[in-house]
Amino acid sequence: MSHIFDAWALPPGVTLPHRPSLSFESGSTQVRYLDADPDWLARVLDALGDSRSRLVDRRAGDLCVTLGAVGARLLDPGDTLRMKALEYLPADAGLSAEMATVVLDGMARDWAEDGLRELLDAEFTDVACLDGFVERQGRISMAMGPGLCFQIIAGSVPGVGVSALIRSLLVKSPTLLKPGRGDSVLPVLFASALHEADPELAAALAVVYWPGGSEALENVALLGADVVVAYGGDETVAALRGRTPVTTRFVAYHHRVSVAVVGVEALGRPHAEASAASLAKAVAIFDQRGCVSPRVVYVEEGGTVSPRAFASLLAQSLAGLGRDLPSGGLDRAEASALHQVRGTAELVAASESGVDIHHGGDAPWTVIFDRGPMDLAPSVGRTVQVVPLTDLEQLPDLLARMGTHLQTVGTAGLGDREQVLASRLGRAGVSRVVPFSEVPFPPPWWHHDGGNPLGDLVRWVDLGSE
Amino acid sequence: MTLRQKTDPKGVETVAVGFDVLATELSGRFSAGVESPWSDTDFGSLALRVFEYQFEHNPTYRRYSERRGATPKTVRAWRDVPVVPTGAFKHLDLVAGDARTVEAVFHTSGTNLRGGAPGRHLIPRLSLYRASLLPPFKAHLLPDTDSLRFISLIPSPDELPRSSLSHMVSAAAQVFASEVHWVVDGSGVLDLELLTAAIHDSISEDEAVLLLGTAFAFVHALDQDALGSLPAGSRIMETGGFKGRSREVSKVELYATLSSETSVTVAHIVNEYGMTELQSQLYTPVMSEQAHDGSAHVLPPWMRVRALDPSTLEELEEGAEGLLAFFDLANAGSVCHVLTEDVGSVRHGRVHLAGRVVGAEPRGCARAMDDLMAASDASL
Repeated sequence: MSHIFDAWALPPGVTLPHRPSLSFESGSTQVRYLDADPDWLARVLDALGDSRSRLVDRRAGDLCVTLGAVGARLLDPGDTLRMKALEYLPADAGLSAEMATVVLDGMARDWAEDGLRELLDAEFTDVACLDGFVERQGRISMAMGPGLCFQIIAGSVPGVGVSALIRSLLVKSPTLLKPGRGDSVLPVLFASALHEADPELAAALAVVYWPGGSEALENVALLGADVVVAYGGDETVAALRGRTPVTTRFVAYHHRVSVAVVGVEALGRPHAEASAASLAKAVAIFDQRGCVSPRVVYVEEGGTVSPRAFASLLAQSLAGLGRDLPSGGLDRAEASALHQVRGTAELVAASESGVDIHHGGDAPWTVIFDRGPMDLAPSVGRTVQVVPLTDLEQLPDLLARMGTHLQTVGTAGLGDREQVLASRLGRAGVSRVVPFSEVPFPPPWWHHDGGNPLGDLVRWVDLGSE
Repeated sequence: MTLRQKTDPKGVETVAVGFDVLATELSGRFSAGVESPWSDTDFGSLALRVFEYQFEHNPTYRRYSERRGATPKTVRAWRDVPVVPTGAFKHLDLVAGDARTVEAVFHTSGTNLRGGAPGRHLIPRLSLYRASLLPPFKAHLLPDTDSLRFISLIPSPDELPRSSLSHMVSAAAQVFASEVHWVVDGSGVLDLELLTAAIHDSISEDEAVLLLGTAFAFVHALDQDALGSLPAGSRIMETGGFKGRSREVSKVELYATLSSETSVTVAHIVNEYGMTELQSQLYTPVMSEQAHDGSAHVLPPWMRVRALDPSTLEELEEGAEGLLAFFDLANAGSVCHVLTEDVGSVRHGRVHLAGRVVGAEPRGCARAMDDLMAASDASL
């Protein structure tokens, strides 16, 4: 049976555009989008603007409770909201049902009240600064969210959109969210549940998808927003930044890349098996599409388990996960790229170059063991490269050339070298150094790409006393 | 893998002789022309002999094949010869025999999916390359004449010595051109004066022209209003798409504009499809068969094509769209069976191209590491 999912959420009073909706099939689900036009989008922005006067009178702590209650519904196995999310998420995001559950659990943990409170507390010493002027060490200041925040999500890691809209609503900013294709179900469901729980707050949120690169639509939003938050590839983000007025704050979450490192302390028996299993999970979650997903694993030489043997262990773990946490399907381009990567690696392996390749056949996991730099580095399916490292000290220099795009380094077995290495990695551009188990799902308070998830949205107003 | 892995030479002298015998035989067959199709048996037995040669003289390909359970003893049909992805040309010199004695090295421009180092194709014998190039070129571009004046918007091999396309135009010109005018330099800049003079001379001497160029070069020339009416009997060979270029124009629109600017009818605009990884070329038979729609590309008789299921690589039924895999006997000196990233369908042994499998919005926010490496270290 075919299900239809209407992938939009609008503030009250905004009628649907005259043009018919567009739809994209996704397995048995048809995801429908609005065929928005610039004039209509301008009316959406007006409606969002109207909501601000009521929003600014709310207390941030109360917004946190309301938003957190909706977030908690997505974690509650008996809740219809979660059931709906799990029904539509696999088709929307191209994930297996098992993976959709893991992803929802991991992401929604940050959306419940406790998580949101952690975030607020981490960002603002005194949350009351969002509600009025507060004095701190003789300074009197207030933090104000933008009059309109335009969140544009170009990627399609499910859940990113909800995290984004929560952030701007928490700082009392009316929000236009343009979800990525493949991440529209969660923000729309969140918005509809928010409407049930708190219509006044929901009136400050619109979720509207349009195909990426629709400049006429984007320009309406870019010119109307006070803060633009753009997620996506470098080219997309650069194009958006170029069309954003100089007076508008622009927060860029551009391309990112993450890696993993295994020190000798994790390469004894049976630690190595556990490290490989934990790393395999970090690779598998999001089917390796997340900016947190490790693409290259640097394995230190000199342990009981050699880097080459660790690659085999990782392959075994990925094979097991292929059964327990199956991969989503690949589209034609991805399937083609995977054949290119595997066939090439197999030929290079056959040239007696010391390269090994393990792969899952129909299951799209692939492990390539290769001594050199990452010119075989795959970017499709659950594919990971294992590179031996004579000394962990080399890692920051190896990564430095990618510095501006680095994000997470997952670690195991660094022992007491961890802090020193982490600070050197940080200088190389890395913004997060965490154990494998924490790689896929950062905590709510994380310094997203090194920034302040809420702090980067607000404007401070200082008050001097006479 | 910092260094390109060189294929081990094996018994240099014997190999050279062995390949020369094979190349001479193939050249002889190719030179017989493209008019008569080769039977499946005929093609198949040659294909297996070439596979046996490649298996024996390319240790990398031999081990690759063995790991797939494919040896000259087990492989019974060309379809079962292990396929090599075009991406492998980026990493390996896939030459059967001694890489040091090759006569030419052609570099890819943008045929690989990702950036980074270009691929390259080692060409052991240019005589075999020419033997595969000339008959189809003649049949599809000069079916009615033996000689024309060439005006090339493709840079000369002096400018781009590693471009297979430049080499192709030059080799064809040596045989079919009364004279050849190279009007674009190695960096792609069009010399307007040269082009205007070449067109003017062809008109005053009333000699038909073969105008050759990439789609991108033609768009550039049209943008500069550089083309003019060509003498009667002139024709155009257009090749390639707009891979990653700034401006896109539909083929129909491009041909219509080209036609009105040059007075060459659309029925005389031939599309050539080729890639560095394949020595043979395909053409639309608009001139050779007066085909109207030009939607199919014709293979030479020493080549076969299949559309494969993108997931399983199983051969698809006639007319179904999939990844194109070619078996090109002209690739005897490297590897014949090549899996491309191009999408198309096969009907009656001909290819209907549907484009390339890139262009979809990438899923996820992580960028390929190799893109980053390429961007940060473009000089490698």
